[in-house]
Amino acid sequence: MTSLSGFILLIQTSLPSAAQPAVIAVGALYFAVVIAISVWAARRTRTATDFFVAGKGIGLVALTVASVSVSVSGFAFIGGPGLIYAVGLGAMYIVLPASVTNVMGAWVLAKRMRLLGEARGLMTIPDAIGARYRSPAAQGLAGVGMLVGIVGYMATNALAMGVVINSIFDVGLGWGIWIGMGITLAYSASGGILAGIYNDVFQGTLMAVASVLVFLFVLDFGGGLGAISQTILGADPAFLGPWGKLTPLAALSFFFVFSMGSLGQPQAVHKYYMLRDPLQLKWYPLLKTLGLVLVLLLYFGVGVGVKAFVESGRMAPLASPDQATPSLLLHVTPIVLAALVFSGVAAATMSAANSFINIGAAIVMHDLPIAFGRRLRNELLWGRAVTILIAAAAAITAQLSGSMVAFLGIFGWGLFASTLVPALAVGLNWQGATKAGAMASMAAGLIVTLALEIAAYNKAFTFPAGVTASAVALVLSFLIFFLVSWLTRQTAAAAIDPDVRLVMEL
Amino acid sequence: MLVIALSAIAIAYGSAFFPTGAPHWAPWLLALGIPFSLGAIMILGAARGARGVGPLKIPFAFVIVTLAVGFCAALILPATESPASTLWLGLPARAAIVIYGIGLLPIIVLPVAYALTFESQTLTADDIERVRSLAREIAKNQTTSAASDDPSS
Repeated sequence: MTSLSGFILLIQTSLPSAAQPAVIAVGALYFAVVIAISVWAARRTRTATDFFVAGKGIGLVALTVASVSVSVSGFAFIGGPGLIYAVGLGAMYIVLPASVTNVMGAWVLAKRMRLLGEARGLMTIPDAIGARYRSPAAQGLAGVGMLVGIVGYMATNALAMGVVINSIFDVGLGWGIWIGMGITLAYSASGGILAGIYNDVFQGTLMAVASVLVFLFVLDFGGGLGAISQTILGADPAFLGPWGKLTPLAALSFFFVFSMGSLGQPQAVHKYYMLRDPLQLKWYPLLKTLGLVLVLLLYFGVGVGVKAFVESGRMAPLASPDQATPSLLLHVTPIVLAALVFSGVAAATMSAANSFINIGAAIVMHDLPIAFGRRLRNELLWGRAVTILIAAAAAITAQLSGSMVAFLGIFGWGLFASTLVPALAVGLNWQGATKAGAMASMAAGLIVTLALEIAAYNKAFTFPAGVTASAVALVLSFLIFFLVSWLTRQTAAAAIDPDVRLVMEL
Repeated sequence: MLVIALSAIAIAYGSAFFPTGAPHWAPWLLALGIPFSLGAIMILGAARGARGVGPLKIPFAFVIVTLAVGFCAALILPATESPASTLWLGLPARAAIVIYGIGLLPIIVLPVAYALTFESQTLTADDIERVRSLAREIAKNQTTSAASDDPSS
């Protein structure tokens, strides 16, 4: 039985050294391209709107690839295949929701957020909540909830970045963290989201190419999926059962949290503001879903392939499940392929970190001042300053807090889901939602997630098999949202501005 | 439908806290609650006033049924995986239902349905112009109102 905490911990893997000339050369080339893109973007960033939403000027293909890139963390390359190796097909329920989440996000959020951006010039997700409920307090509360989640995500990504860079260049974990965060910070602070988007495009392309090549290699090396399955069925049939070695409740719980929760992930939702022409949304879900499928081929291929190769004696037994990808790359695949994947993992962590730095900075210098009734005069200057502070705080947290970093990473995803999904995703589509309902649900999501995760981390409380804090908090947040909105329903209709109402009715 | 589906999911989670552990019916509540909650929120997002979801009711029904049947089949079919199992596109039957049915079938249907119905059901250039026009009108009224409130004007 593996819990949500267990699989997140797999991100905190210690990778073996891959510092060979080909890996170092590809890694150096990767960082050179990132720096070149950043210099180009910095020359085109002149206003706060440029900095936070790329002047609403990103084309369809670039936005799609960038969105795929930030939706996939290093977990898809290292921790995920390790989890499949450990628990079998049950681990697929984390990524299977991709079949519905992108189009669900398009129907539920994309159009309305993009049109709100058109009507009001909105830049952030809390902006949308503030506009919907006509409430700076709701905007501030959403911002606080997101900031708490961002702390966890950023620290986790900073550590993952350090682990990968150390593996490629053999510079030590501490230097790996600071080199990775330094480069990410350089392009975040200078070129803002424009640098982030075009680096995401490069990084997403790299991840997709690496994923497809590894998947094809695994199929070829294993003699096809049928032969791989036959090997596994001969040694461990439960591995290829519909739930793997998880209970049905646990596997289905993964599906619920990672499908419904996707509507509250700011790194993906924030992108809806940036599309140059709202009519291009037509092809966005199809392109993004296909892109995600390509990037996630490695997740499935390596997890299942390595299991078969170990069972057939073609690979040595793994020291731990999270060595599935590194062992395959360093001992079986051509070294150039290994070099591509290691750079792809660095790319995944850097694109996620950049996105969260940008979103966190926007909350601190835009949403929180609005909640307190103030507006900063030079949002671009403040945005750059806050970006530096957030990146430095994440790097220090990653370096100093040891196992606490893993704990911080655990609740990030669930916290975004429980604080944002009801108020944002349902609220933008249901005129019966009220400010009181939204604030109660955001507060409940924040408090319940933190309380349950802290209790579980300190071993004061153990969840029953198959139940996670994220799932409980998400369901509670929804039910509280509906209940409080129903109790305060007499205020609902009058509390929507005409332009917001029009956007909700279209 | 969303509230009922989420309540079913909440009951499933709540039942897992029983001293004897999750009852055998708990996964069934999730297997049905998840497809209906996802379907309900998609319908909520896609509905356009009195026109509702129009032709999208077919893909939405397809996806809800596909997910529900896939999850329930995984729960109900006996565990027969062995080296002698017949493979479906390289996987034993129950795994193939999960990977290809739940993981791939909706990809073929939903994004294509979204694109094909985009102009009729989601967004047109006229919709965008209506939003821009109202925004301009509101901005103009605010400017006029601010000017009339200004004692120096």
